[in-house]
Amino acid sequence: MQQRVSILDGNTFLVCDGRGDVEPSFDFPTGLFSFDTRFLSTWLLTLDGERLHALSVDDAHSYQTRFFLVPGEPTHYLDAKVSMIRTRSIGGNFTEELTVLNHSGRETRFDLRLEMGSDFADLFEIKHQRPKKGRTSAVAGDNALRLTYRREAFHREATITSSADARVDQAGMTWSITVAPHCEWSTRLTVTPIIHGARGEDVRAITALGAARGPSVIRDEQADLVARAPQLGCDCEPLAGAYRQSLHDLAALRYESITLGVRLLAAGLPWFMTLFGRDSMLTSLQVLPFLPELVPPTILMLAGLQGHRLDDFRDEEPGKILHELRYGETAGFEEQPHSPYYGAADSTPLFLILLDEYERWTGDAALVKRLEFAARAALHWIDSYGDLLGTGYVWYRSRNPETGLENQCWKDSWDAISYADGRLPGFPRATCEIQGYAYDAKRRGARMARLFWNDPEYADRLEREAAALKERFNRDFWIPEKEYFAVALDPDGRHVDSLTSNIGHLLWSGIVDEPRAARIAEHLLGPRLFSGWGVRTLATDEGRYNPIGYHVGTVWPFDNAFIAWGLSRYGFRDEAGRICEAMLDASRFFDGRLPEAFAGYERTLTDYPVQYPTACSPQAWSAGTPLLLLRVILGLEPQGEHLIIDPLVPEGMGRVELLDIPGRWGRVDALGRSRTPREHGPRH
Amino acid sequence: MSRATDEFFAALPARAPAVLRAPVTGTLQIDLVDDDHTDHWLVRISPGRAVVERAGGPADAVWSSSADLFERLVTGRAQGVSAVLRNESTFSGNVMLFLVFRQFFPAPPGVRDPRETAREQTGRA
Repeated sequence: MQQRVSILDGNTFLVCDGRGDVEPSFDFPTGLFSFDTRFLSTWLLTLDGERLHALSVDDAHSYQTRFFLVPGEPTHYLDAKVSMIRTRSIGGNFTEELTVLNHSGRETRFDLRLEMGSDFADLFEIKHQRPKKGRTSAVAGDNALRLTYRREAFHREATITSSADARVDQAGMTWSITVAPHCEWSTRLTVTPIIHGARGEDVRAITALGAARGPSVIRDEQADLVARAPQLGCDCEPLAGAYRQSLHDLAALRYESITLGVRLLAAGLPWFMTLFGRDSMLTSLQVLPFLPELVPPTILMLAGLQGHRLDDFRDEEPGKILHELRYGETAGFEEQPHSPYYGAADSTPLFLILLDEYERWTGDAALVKRLEFAARAALHWIDSYGDLLGTGYVWYRSRNPETGLENQCWKDSWDAISYADGRLPGFPRATCEIQGYAYDAKRRGARMARLFWNDPEYADRLEREAAALKERFNRDFWIPEKEYFAVALDPDGRHVDSLTSNIGHLLWSGIVDEPRAARIAEHLLGPRLFSGWGVRTLATDEGRYNPIGYHVGTVWPFDNAFIAWGLSRYGFRDEAGRICEAMLDASRFFDGRLPEAFAGYERTLTDYPVQYPTACSPQAWSAGTPLLLLRVILGLEPQGEHLIIDPLVPEGMGRVELLDIPGRWGRVDALGRSRTPREHGPRH
Repeated sequence: MSRATDEFFAALPARAPAVLRAPVTGTLQIDLVDDDHTDHWLVRISPGRAVVERAGGPADAVWSSSADLFERLVTGRAQGVSAVLRNESTFSGNVMLFLVFRQFFPAPPGVRDPRETAREQTGRA
């Protein structure tokens, strides 16, 4: 697979090859993107007509890369008389400094050429190829090239300028330069993506959003965020490394929303650099103990965009929390439903869970009071539109067969929910983890109603409903002969009987009857689900199992973090510890940056976690994973005005100290130490 | 100005108690552009209450669109966020006012309750 290098700042990002070039690609999002539009699809450097190749690449920062290049193809013998450095950074704008170094003893003439172009593709036109409906144009100016795209009032522009004199044509810039012996020459290129709004002005300028920032500002912002997070001291280098990397990635994934003027977290590079209800809420739950101030903007944005009417195209219903908001052309012209799209049956209960959990940590009762109506509308959705069949469960079935999602749970690929024999059930479907979330949402709704909305009757009703749901669920979803919960009910109320990681989320929600929890824990850590690197999405003996199938056999770090939390909640601390250990072991192979997913191969087979081919990285809820694992290891749980600290550090992990954990208690420290230290390393 | 738009504004005060439940207060100016002139409306929003005035004036946010697009919005045949994304309408100022105001826009004509269709299809109607 071709090596790719990415830099990002919020939802503006650039993906290129190992030498810094971008060649037109219609199946993978290479190029410069901002707000779901590609602003550069060609960015290709030649020196005297020759491509270059990289001697080394410095990509230690998320927003900055440096390439050291020489002309020609790699050979064993290299005696370059000239080399080049490309130093680039991203921060609203994209800038690149091109430097030519003449290593020879005589003055030399070079022709440097950069091919430039943009197809202004919407991200969804790369996923599903389609010809552009608007018109692109390129206008050469003085040391500047303007690339524009217009479709009716929709208007995007990329302006490229060079600090050194250039010959500009519609397809790029050329510099004919003479460099003295042992001297260098350089030019600075600036690419400004412009989203035209009212009166043709740049939306980012009139809303004071996403203004261009230099690398030093971004570095300071990231450093500030990392400094505000609790300090981790530990003997376990994988844990320390993953924690450090996570904080940096979370900082990099923050972006400013055009529509609300607040900083939100993008879900994942490169496909999901936007607001997802589910991803942002699960990530918020992970980061709450560390950076609680990241959470309110997400909650407020989701409440502000709560569904208010029936809309089949968007799968919208009153009270429903959104699934995905996009900013591009296909959303604007309603070729895709993301304005926003509401095709998720779990986002509404998750909204209630997050709101309550946020208050439990921070004591910010004002937000719970302010959002009373939104929260009540969400609770009402669970029992009204959520319960499509009137059976007391939350079901999903898209009303948008063309561009809607078939599966409206976290495993949202088309084949993710299957019977053990591989058949796919009909619609609507009620997946098990969503019932768990609904149960938890009702219990948390009851707490909020009692404490903050002055409505004890409603609280009592929600608690009764939650208890009845738990009883019903344990009756209807349990498969007695297999001793686990069905992944879903089909439209006839029958079990969709495959063994999946979804049962781990049930522990997190607390919907599992106590006597059954041990059996669930055994399944999760048993050989069918547990690979040694983590819990697979689907058990190995199921019809659709595939170790490199997106939701049918891979291991998802975020999934594992919530499973560990669930195990811990039911007292299975050792089992939770094994998952934490496995995840941290895996993270070492990704330089501390856990990807979206990795392959489900048995650990003894591969000795290292095999990367999933198109996994997004960084991915917000994977970046949040080490944080949630730390919470589990240290046994952190708010109770009233205090933080309970009940550490159970896995064997061999040694000392784990988390200092200055923020919350309603001010800041407190948590210290833990494993009982029998041993050398930390992969377990075979 | 179309009858649908007039009726929409006339009905806002009566609909406000059911629609405006969030604690958001402020004035939204709506500019509706026809061929040669612009109609200004001011909607003062507060919890449970909307006061409508046919005038321009100081506002916390301004929504601007063609009169034709607005008629499609108030009859459920267009959707507000996508209209902004394709720049057919523009918005400036406090975005919460727009997010609250859009709740007055009705569902598309002829839309059916998804529960009815799901129950019919599974024979549970």
